[in-house]
Amino acid sequence: MFMENINFSLNIRKIDGGNGPVRFRLMMSDGLHTMSSFMLSTQLNPMAENNRLAPNCVCQLKKNVTNVLKDGRRVVVILDMDVIMSAEDVGGRIGEPTPYTDGDASKHSAQHIHNILKGFNRDFGKKAPPALPATPGGGSKVVPIASLNPYQSKWTIRARVTNKSSIRTWSNSRGDGKLFSMEIVDESGEIRVTGFNQEVDKFYSLIETGKVFYISKGSLKIANKQYSSLKNDYEMTLNGESTIIPCEDSSDVPMVQCDFVSIADLEARDKDAIVDVIGVCKSVDEVTRLTTKSSREVSKRTLSLMDMSGKVVNVTLWGEEAENFDGSGQPIVAIKGAKLSDFGGRSLSASFSSTLMINPDIPEAYKLRGWYDNEGHAIDGESLTEVRGSGGANTNWKTLADVKTEHLGHGDKADYFSCTATVVYLRKENCLYQACPSQDCNKKVVDQQNGMFRCEKCDKEFPNFKYRLILSANIADYGDNQWVTCFQESAEAILGQNAAYLGQLKESNESAFDEIFQQANFNTFVFRNRVKLETYNDESRIKATVMDVKPVDHKEYSKRLIMNIKKLAAQ
Amino acid sequence: MTAVLDVPKPRINSSMLSQYPGRPVCFVGHVDKVHPTGKMFKMLDGEGKAAQVELNDPLEEELSGIVEVIGVVSNKGTIMASTYNILREDKGIAFDLELYNEALKVIHDYPQHYPFQVAASE
Repeated sequence: MFMENINFSLNIRKIDGGNGPVRFRLMMSDGLHTMSSFMLSTQLNPMAENNRLAPNCVCQLKKNVTNVLKDGRRVVVILDMDVIMSAEDVGGRIGEPTPYTDGDASKHSAQHIHNILKGFNRDFGKKAPPALPATPGGGSKVVPIASLNPYQSKWTIRARVTNKSSIRTWSNSRGDGKLFSMEIVDESGEIRVTGFNQEVDKFYSLIETGKVFYISKGSLKIANKQYSSLKNDYEMTLNGESTIIPCEDSSDVPMVQCDFVSIADLEARDKDAIVDVIGVCKSVDEVTRLTTKSSREVSKRTLSLMDMSGKVVNVTLWGEEAENFDGSGQPIVAIKGAKLSDFGGRSLSASFSSTLMINPDIPEAYKLRGWYDNEGHAIDGESLTEVRGSGGANTNWKTLADVKTEHLGHGDKADYFSCTATVVYLRKENCLYQACPSQDCNKKVVDQQNGMFRCEKCDKEFPNFKYRLILSANIADYGDNQWVTCFQESAEAILGQNAAYLGQLKESNESAFDEIFQQANFNTFVFRNRVKLETYNDESRIKATVMDVKPVDHKEYSKRLIMNIKKLAAQ
Repeated sequence: MTAVLDVPKPRINSSMLSQYPGRPVCFVGHVDKVHPTGKMFKMLDGEGKAAQVELNDPLEEELSGIVEVIGVVSNKGTIMASTYNILREDKGIAFDLELYNEALKVIHDYPQHYPFQVAASE
């Protein structure tokens, strides 16, 4: 409809987002007609807030997405725009535009604008079409990465570096050496490039991630898939004849080559798979620090990612990436080469070989932005990742009989379900153990019998310990019963006392201790359980762990029962 | 009066009143208006339909909120109350009258699953 996408912004209305960000709605005119169904994408909000975008300014829409609402109305979400002429310079409304209705022919609108603007003595000459990329020195013409093969040696490619490794050195019986590797991408595909010894000296400092280079005369060989998950049968090695020259005109070389997997499909993928994902960062946690097995301290941060499938998955960032991540404004986050894990069901981790991109300049990002601004922000989303202790919106309700009949926990990964059940037995023997008093360590300590307690994990001795609970219980509903293990938080919730107090009571007042277990028996709760088939020496048994315990919400329970009854009746 | 309290009393709403003439029932609803004499009051059930309740002795307290009435259905379709319970709003979880009505419908739609009789051990 708008040929050259030069429009006038006639009117701006601020819409309070409630618990979301402020939105700006624009009425645009092309000189002939007006249309008010334009929404400014939230990332452009500053333009309106700083008055760069003011009524009657002339702007050029560079990127926009049209969404059709449920009632058939169209809304254009503006993702990128430039103000060509400020409102002051325009000095007032241009033309006498009338509201646009479907069916109006507006082929003349672009010409109309030009005529009007001529009066302002401005030259809006069309941009000359970009020239075909010429190789420096007039060498062989540029070929696509996808066409590279070991049988042709005289080629030049023009590609962007997406990932550059550090220099690695080795020393073995055959001598010393060093290497670096990088991943490059162009419109046709991607490929891994390695440089050894002299090539490291020649090229390492020249190469910058994100920049585009002309590369020619590398050697191609079959890719070693062990070291790279890139989609190319071949990989390249730089040799004495290879050249790498920076390229200035790089705007049309893609930033990255990704084969995005929808978050909903992650469930079907195997654990440890390497995938590319893109989504909206719905929320992000604070940075935490933890100590690895090798006693190294590392930063960690978890964010939740949602895409148009409506599903959500947790992504863990590490190190500097975690510390520097800014999740404000629900940015689009894309990760190339994320590792899929079965932690909590399904979750993703950005490893050292993954590439993290915030608001990347790629079409999928703009699509997501438009979708999220229009509908996505209102969706809660179903999470594939079970966070310890939280219920989650997509509770999987089962009865205890279902655990056996549906063989829950028999698959590769653990199964999670919720049930309403009553505690019928609590094992009070051995429910408490002596744990390391250090903040984040719960390992059982060894009583040195000299007043000191030793923690093997921390490799330290302490004059004290903290009591922690591991409670074995039997829970039952109308159909079946189930032995479960409850750790600290859920055990304390069932017993109604904290572990420290219980430990003290056990030592000092046995009957009061017993009384607590009596009182805790025959209470009904909503349990969130994890079941998994475990094998010890030829014997397989279902192990059930309580992740979370909550009091029964009778209203919700009644509603659910009524719904189930109606469903059964309809069958 | 005691006879009413000894027998099982089906829970009903206003639409079902006509099916239980002369029978003891249990009616839960929201108090709408109390007659000036204090011997009658109007209630609304979970569907918003009205039912008239009559008492032998006038009310001695302010009646409001959700009340459970036990009594016999008269020929006129009113409830001759034997006793009543006020479900206090400040105690426990708030009573959801609409949800109660949904449950009522289920009980009446599937009498084979919700048999209504005195236990055999009596």
